[in-house]
Amino acid sequence: MLWLSKAAAKRRKGFFVFSLAFAFILTTLALAPSVMPGALPFLKPLTIDTDPENMLPADATVRVRNGELKTVFDIYDFVVVGVLNETHPQGVFNAKDLANVKTLTDYAKTLSYEQRAGTFANVIASDIIAPSTVDNIETESLGAVSFTWLMKTAPSTDQEAALIRDRMLKIPMYKGTMISDDGAALALYYPLSEKSISHAVAQDLQELIDTFENTGAVYHITGLPVAEDRFGSEMFFQMAVSAPLAMLFVFGLLWLFFGHVRIILISLLAAMASVICTMALLVLSGQTIHIMSSMIPIFIIPIAVLDDIHILSDFYDKYTPERDRLEIVNEVMADLWRPMWYTTLTTAVGFASLMLTPIPPVQVFGLFVAIGVFVAWFFTVTLLPAYFMSLPDKALADFGALQTSERAIRDQSWLGRFLRTAGPFAGHRAKSIIVLSLALVVWAGIGIVNISVNDNPIKWFETSDQIRVADRIINEEFAGSYMAYLHLSSDSAVNDEPFKAPETLRYIAKMSADLEAESNVIGKVSGLYDIVSTVYRELYNDPAAYRIPDTRPAIAQTLLMYENSHRPDDIWTFVTPDFQDAVLWFQLKSGDNTDMAQVEKLVGDYLNRNPPPRTLASEWFGLTYINLVWQDEMVTGMLKAFLGSFIVVLILTSLLFRSLSWGIMAMIPLALTVATIYGAVGWAGMDYDMPTAVLSSLSLGLAVDYAIHFLARTREIFRRQQAWEPTLREMFEEPSRAISRNVIVVGVGFLPLLAANLVPYQTVGILISSILILAGAASLILLPALISVFQKPLFHRERITE
Amino acid sequence: MNKAALVFLIIVSAFGPPAHAQNTDANDIARQAEKTAFYQGEDGRARVSMQIIDKQGRTRSRDITILRKDEINDNSESGDQRFFVYFRAPSDVRDTVFLVWKHPQADDDRWLYLPALDLVRRIAAGDERSSFVGSDFFYEDVSGRSAEEDTHVVQDTTETYYILKSTPKDPNRVEFAYYISYIHKESYLPVQVEYYQSDHSKYREYTAEAVETIQGFPTVTRATMKDLADGGRTTLTYSDIHYDIDLSDDIFTERYLRNPPRQFFGEN
Repeated sequence: MLWLSKAAAKRRKGFFVFSLAFAFILTTLALAPSVMPGALPFLKPLTIDTDPENMLPADATVRVRNGELKTVFDIYDFVVVGVLNETHPQGVFNAKDLANVKTLTDYAKTLSYEQRAGTFANVIASDIIAPSTVDNIETESLGAVSFTWLMKTAPSTDQEAALIRDRMLKIPMYKGTMISDDGAALALYYPLSEKSISHAVAQDLQELIDTFENTGAVYHITGLPVAEDRFGSEMFFQMAVSAPLAMLFVFGLLWLFFGHVRIILISLLAAMASVICTMALLVLSGQTIHIMSSMIPIFIIPIAVLDDIHILSDFYDKYTPERDRLEIVNEVMADLWRPMWYTTLTTAVGFASLMLTPIPPVQVFGLFVAIGVFVAWFFTVTLLPAYFMSLPDKALADFGALQTSERAIRDQSWLGRFLRTAGPFAGHRAKSIIVLSLALVVWAGIGIVNISVNDNPIKWFETSDQIRVADRIINEEFAGSYMAYLHLSSDSAVNDEPFKAPETLRYIAKMSADLEAESNVIGKVSGLYDIVSTVYRELYNDPAAYRIPDTRPAIAQTLLMYENSHRPDDIWTFVTPDFQDAVLWFQLKSGDNTDMAQVEKLVGDYLNRNPPPRTLASEWFGLTYINLVWQDEMVTGMLKAFLGSFIVVLILTSLLFRSLSWGIMAMIPLALTVATIYGAVGWAGMDYDMPTAVLSSLSLGLAVDYAIHFLARTREIFRRQQAWEPTLREMFEEPSRAISRNVIVVGVGFLPLLAANLVPYQTVGILISSILILAGAASLILLPALISVFQKPLFHRERITE
Repeated sequence: MNKAALVFLIIVSAFGPPAHAQNTDANDIARQAEKTAFYQGEDGRARVSMQIIDKQGRTRSRDITILRKDEINDNSESGDQRFFVYFRAPSDVRDTVFLVWKHPQADDDRWLYLPALDLVRRIAAGDERSSFVGSDFFYEDVSGRSAEEDTHVVQDTTETYYILKSTPKDPNRVEFAYYISYIHKESYLPVQVEYYQSDHSKYREYTAEAVETIQGFPTVTRATMKDLADGGRTTLTYSDIHYDIDLSDDIFTERYLRNPPRQFFGEN
């Protein structure tokens, strides 16, 4: 492969033109469909995908069932608007605020957005839950049941507003859902025909809200779709600002180590070219930009820079104006091409292993980072030599270790002095270091056992973000904004309308009440029994009649009464018209997977402990549940991917060193790093979510990198020195300096990600830095310790037999 | 116009020569249309099969018998009417009765008798545009909206139809901004009625799909109401229609709710 670098160094102009043209053509093709739609019909425009459902393939059973059951029961995802007014004694139930709420709802009914040519997505007006769109059900006078619009027109006085409040509080379907239990706050539910419009709906609603006269009322817009959708717009910002910022930081650190802006500029350009080409390929392949793929640049930058630093370091050490430049460059590349090719392979394998996970966005991420790793390798081994060749001598004046004669022998920088003093310590205290490492593994093991696998798209935002604030307030005041649906069906083949049977409805009503009492997460469970009991109560005008009637005809006729209201179809959001299938709406106060898992278990246990009057099959659906499913698949998938790639990388390192024991040695710092990182995640109580999960692949790629470089150099030096002690000392000169520089540049370079306002990016930033520092430290401390102890068998091939 | 209307056209054109005089008074057209659609004969009965079909194509069926009687005061009709709507099927609502005393100038009285609970309850809905027993028809579509509640304008006159645009006098009691009706010139039967929102989008559509002349009265025998917003529709198919069957007033009282006057229900 060396011929490539040699060719590049010789025909530098050709390679520059080729690289530029390649990057330019890819970018143009990728952007063309977005800039000029339709000009190139075979290309797809850049599409942002924030739908967490896409964490699972479109044909995943749980997704297919979710889609089917949502259609069967006419269930939509919705935007929730919480309205509070702490300055008015009646809360939002005053004439002015209710008028605004009515205006807002009337406006929401009209919202419609063109999606693709000719197709529209809109707010489903007939299913809106707001005071002006639902019926008040009450006994009007003796013997009359009234189904009047709860708030046909806005009240003209605060007394009238209070009357509306009192009516709402009396209707179990509304209490806790639309009106807070204390009767002060309102929640409005705007269902969407497609959840992709939720961000637009939220923005349009906010615009109208901003025009309202200040009454002291506060409007909180939330709901899972809003959070997901807003994440999409934030992703652009992250890709356009955070990733370049990280790159600048890396550049600053390179400058600090090597001086000479002109020389290190090329590594910045090579990294940028790698990122641009990879992203262009991603778009060209028709893939959407998902939360995972938006992080591809952030992963490619350190990998691209890593090889650059090795070349720069070596060139820095070897350069002297006295020798022929081409000779030096070729020598540098000859030194490095083998470890670079292998580290490229191992890194690519680490990421490609993600294709073993069952989660499509993670597969795409793994594949394209792997591609990016090769692209970065290509640009590094061609552009750097070509660039070095085209620099004028003037630009290289006083560059390189040999030009500062003293440094040539002993690097006097703080890093050099530190490594020289501290380094051999690792070889001398080998046993204590190994014991300490084992202790660390045990500590990490305990942490890993306690790791909590959890994700919640709302938590992708910072605690202070308005979405998080709205989410918190709405879930404090109301029954919950996270929906999960429990589909119940009778497995009997004959249609005997099980969900019109009093015993079944009673069982479900009791189950709901018991579950609400048992769990803090379940805010409220709604079902057909709510409608039946409420209407039955009003038929008798007696609070004690809030129950399920005694016979099937009684239930059927109670429902027939309700069917004369303005919203008879609400029945069919709870039961199918043949009464064979029913659904329970669970309002959860939290969207955490762990909470959903707890609810799933609780309900399963309940059904087992208290068998229903007839056998009922149960099945969950809804976004909150889908999140749980893909999380579960991710954990097992990641483990499989990690183990698979661990073995492949072990084979690669064993091949590289032509020795299984050296191969295993190369894997040890990586194993320790991964264990420690996830142990720390467990101990810190951080959630093991998707970004955290994919970082194991990054560790695989980077930690092995350091170990390969360290071990390769160690063997090489030992062959020359024929003794461990001088080898150890020499290792802590140039080789460990290169590794340390790498650790610092890339590790610190990613700290700007902490400034991002989306949590997954922060997590990635802090974890990449920790992984690099740990992997570097493990390579520099644990490897010499292990070699000290096992030097006899390890060096048997290097030793020249007397 | 759709196919159903075309069928109607052919049926109706068989009745005789085209109208010799053009009616230009919108209010008069609306009043005559109301009379033709809801006041034929002095009383009558019909067996109605109701098919409620939701957007998923799931069908719920109801089988009912409707008795109707117009009120006569001093030998003239006041417009007041009484309806006795008896449920035959499905079996769990059998014997349920929906009783109506319609008052064109005031709120109608509606009662529901629930045999399983042996309970009579008045339904108060604040307006007359709540669902008629769960169908896509509103209560008012079945009982008849008074021509006096809207302002009518002749929007167009074709060879066959008067096309009326009707705007509510009290917009707070209805959900539509206006409706357009196609009224057959010859028979004065409304063949199609389209309901619009204020943004001029059509969201409901009534179509008379079959018409027969029974005892000399042009009578709609099949009609469909489409809810264009939610994709559902309801079809009413009338059979065993008879006019002037001498119903007595007391049938339309609470006494008969528990003992339906089966002798007037016709064939089984």
